[in-house]
Amino acid sequence: MKKLLALSLSVIMVLSMVGIAAADDGVVLKVVAWDVNTTTYYAAQKEAFEASHPGITIEYVDVASQDYGTKTSTMLAGDDTSDIFMIKEVTDILNWNKAGYAEPLNAYIERDGYDLSGFVGMESGYAFDGVQAGLPFRSDFWVLFYNKTLFDDAGVAYPTNDMTWEDYKDLAIKMTDASKGVYGCHYHTWLSAVVNWAVCDGVNTLVDGEYDDLAYFYNLYFDLAEAGACMPYPETQAAGLHYSGAFGNGNIAMLPMGYWYVSSLISNIQNGTYEVKDWGITAVPHKEGVPAGASFGNLTGAMINAKSANKDAAWTYVAWLCGPEGAKATASTGNRPAWVSEDVASVMSSVEGFPTDEASKAALLPSMVSIEIPGVDHASEIKTILNEEHSAIITGEIPVDEGILNMNDRVAEVLGK
Amino acid sequence: MAQTGLSASRPVRRADSVAATVGRIALYVVLICLSAVTLIPFVWMLSSSLKLDREVFEFPIRWIPKVFHWENYSLIWTKAPMLMYFKNTAVVAISVTLIQTMTSSFAAYAFAKLEFRFRDTLFLCYIATIAVPWQAYMIPQFIEFRSIGLYDTLLAIMVLQAFSAFGVFLMRQFYRGIPTDLCEAARIDGLSEYGIWARIMLPLSKSAIATLVIFTFIGTWNDYMGPMIYLTSENVKTVQVGLRRFIQENSSDYHLIMAASMVSLIPVSVVFLTLQRYFIEGIATSGLKG
Amino acid sequence: MIQQAPVSSCRRPGGKLRRRRTLVALSFIAPNFIGFALFTLIPVIVAVFMSMTEWSGGSLGNMKWIGLQNYEKLFAVPQRYIDRLENPNFFSILGLFFERVDIGIALKNTVTFTVITVPLTMVFSVALALALNKAVRGAVAFRAIIFFPYVSSTVAICVCWNFMMMKNGPINQLLMLFGSSFNKTWTADSNMAIWAVIIVSVWKSMGYYMVIYLAALQGIPRELYEAATVDGANKWQQFTHVTLPQLSPTTFFVSVMLVIGCFKIYDTVALMTGGGPGRATKMLVTYTIDEFNASKYGSACAIAMVLLVLVLTVTVLQFRMEKKFSAD
Repeated sequence: MKKLLALSLSVIMVLSMVGIAAADDGVVLKVVAWDVNTTTYYAAQKEAFEASHPGITIEYVDVASQDYGTKTSTMLAGDDTSDIFMIKEVTDILNWNKAGYAEPLNAYIERDGYDLSGFVGMESGYAFDGVQAGLPFRSDFWVLFYNKTLFDDAGVAYPTNDMTWEDYKDLAIKMTDASKGVYGCHYHTWLSAVVNWAVCDGVNTLVDGEYDDLAYFYNLYFDLAEAGACMPYPETQAAGLHYSGAFGNGNIAMLPMGYWYVSSLISNIQNGTYEVKDWGITAVPHKEGVPAGASFGNLTGAMINAKSANKDAAWTYVAWLCGPEGAKATASTGNRPAWVSEDVASVMSSVEGFPTDEASKAALLPSMVSIEIPGVDHASEIKTILNEEHSAIITGEIPVDEGILNMNDRVAEVLGK
Repeated sequence: MAQTGLSASRPVRRADSVAATVGRIALYVVLICLSAVTLIPFVWMLSSSLKLDREVFEFPIRWIPKVFHWENYSLIWTKAPMLMYFKNTAVVAISVTLIQTMTSSFAAYAFAKLEFRFRDTLFLCYIATIAVPWQAYMIPQFIEFRSIGLYDTLLAIMVLQAFSAFGVFLMRQFYRGIPTDLCEAARIDGLSEYGIWARIMLPLSKSAIATLVIFTFIGTWNDYMGPMIYLTSENVKTVQVGLRRFIQENSSDYHLIMAASMVSLIPVSVVFLTLQRYFIEGIATSGLKG
Repeated sequence: MIQQAPVSSCRRPGGKLRRRRTLVALSFIAPNFIGFALFTLIPVIVAVFMSMTEWSGGSLGNMKWIGLQNYEKLFAVPQRYIDRLENPNFFSILGLFFERVDIGIALKNTVTFTVITVPLTMVFSVALALALNKAVRGAVAFRAIIFFPYVSSTVAICVCWNFMMMKNGPINQLLMLFGSSFNKTWTADSNMAIWAVIIVSVWKSMGYYMVIYLAALQGIPRELYEAATVDGANKWQQFTHVTLPQLSPTTFFVSVMLVIGCFKIYDTVALMTGGGPGRATKMLVTYTIDEFNASKYGSACAIAMVLLVLVLTVTVLQFRMEKKFSAD
């Protein structure tokens, strides 16, 4: 048996030595990303970068978004030499950094005196034990989308940037009109859409092993579901109902969702596939004791492959992409860059189709953004546990308290507490 | 049916035929119900392929779209290089089917009808590998493929699929059903083992080969994980991987996915319908004999 | 008569002749085996080895040999749960294992699923094959339709069944006509979710195995039925004495493939229930993939090996039975 193992291993080893490494000519940067053809900002970024940096060409490698983690992990484990990998989940970069796939950026930042101020500290989401494993170029925090037409029809005032969750609940119940099939609000099936609000205070995180604060938001959801103000979870899940279709159909008054929804909302209204016509955004509601306008969000970024043969060119691109110039290119497509400044915000609000009211513009600058799930050891296992217990709680299969007790127990086990 | 009644007396025959008619009606009722249930997803696919994106998951289901969006079927060709995906998939599926059918029916003969050391152990190895989830050995396999330069080539998918254990196992079982006397007789007549395989086994296993061709072709045509991992460049992607470009991180064009899935069903159905006559011919001859 | 002839094997000759026969046999196997060994067997053997290492990616040199620790970790029942037991003994701890520990839950779900799905699928596929083997009118159409779920998009199938098994959906309403009081969405109910997956799986694969049985039915020599008729056998006797024994190699194939397929159930679960609610439909492969996605490759391989051992045990048993049957 042992001989057999040794033999098979050596076959692989030998084969990997005779392998031919793809030779790059130093000017074409291979950038591994997802949804390349449908995400608007890739083309804008490429165009703007190539115009200002002759001699470097960006070539995207498209990977299906659903399987981005699986495929990129396999590619990297198999010594892929693509120069840049886009970072989809913070847990991805965490694992890539641990495995040594990520080129640490600290030396480059120091050498060039690269300015990090525009990230307002968000770059720390990709820093592990002082190693800057990547830089963010997009940052999506959560906002509250609402359908202005429904509010106008009902003669109810629009949601505001300083609502509490209690105000939100009252408003959602008020806006519900079963006879017209109008729901006051809509929850997508993700854990983050229902209870991630607990991290908005900047103190709680989803990886600390203490989940008692989630109870408030579960109870809020159950109150709303009982009042008929939102579609119950089992139905949403079984029907495979996507939030975009739900809101797009025009019978949802309010939808808490990530900022990324803005660009697809705009384009779907423009090409006439959505019923909803007039919409606005506000800051997500806050809990008593948490400042108004506090939200949570996640980062999208870029990592330089430690096996890349063009690291300097790759750094040139990453530095540009994540910095103010790249930010403008990203913002011009209705997306929210990680680098924020007055300029960038004005680019975002001047995108055609973006609501023109002042409240919506104000919502672009949240008072505080916490990270959805920070990249710490065991983050992906914790995420699995939370999702499993979440599905048991929200279907009503186990009481909220029991589910939260399970979360506490199981995560403590993973953390070795 | 008729042949059983030949020796029976008249009254029994009448009772038989009444029972047979009742049985036949019951059979049809069951088959029709079953088919109806089976067709529901198909109808859903068809109707979704003619809707707008946001209408696909409307609840309750609207089986007949408000407006028929036939343009979805032209959109899929312009929004993605579907033609190229189809070509790639066809190349892979046809070559895999050829290699798989040839090599596995060949190997299966040895496993079914010849005696040699380690035969059963070797065979168990084949079966064991089917049992291991691909994720477990994906990385070692990927490293191997990459190092011999197969990564990002259609050849990778061909070798991945063509030597699967499935075909050997299927053919072995069919060969086992063929009486060994036939082989013995042929050996006495001086046929070599290769001759027995070519002249006796192959002609007798037409229906088995038809089955293998159907399953291999469809399996390769619909395979997603293999091409997803091994094919990266646009010009080598297959239909199933290409379809994923309609599923995005935060929204999905299910109407286009369903339209493309409908189109992708055509070759598969053609293969099935052409080959299924091999499951009928036997009936025709038996009917004549009765 | 053919069926009475002893199934003779060609073992007797020794020495040179045997060596020659082995060579001939190997020449038959080689074209397939070389490809199989190179592209499947070797990576699988490496995976066996990987299950005894700790590796989260990076260079192969990072792999750390840790013996059976991955397995120990998988099968350990956390102390905190044992402490809460009023009366800790072997059985209560075993109960905890199947109730609280991921691999215990996954094993319980996977085995339950397999034990119910395999016989159901076999019965349905044989029945369908027999029904459609006759020259009934429309046989071609029925076959194509029943085979259809196997080729159509899994997404479409799961969406439709989820719709049908929703609260107030057609299936619940039908059941209520028969006095059931259950009216919840199946996939959101801890007890019913696994049944939802079972129903869809049986329905999805019966057409597939029906085709295999249809092909096998063509291989049964007509003479056997004629002889049985002459001997005065009725339909049922023909079925039990001719059809079933003649189908036994195929039944072996179908049962092995089904057992493996069921143990490896993944995509139907992922699309219908996502393994939930809670862990009610978490399967072994679901768990492997979770570990893979957490970059715990050693642990992912260890779970795969648990699956492999399970399947091998069942397959060897089936193998023995096949030998016994074909020797009769």
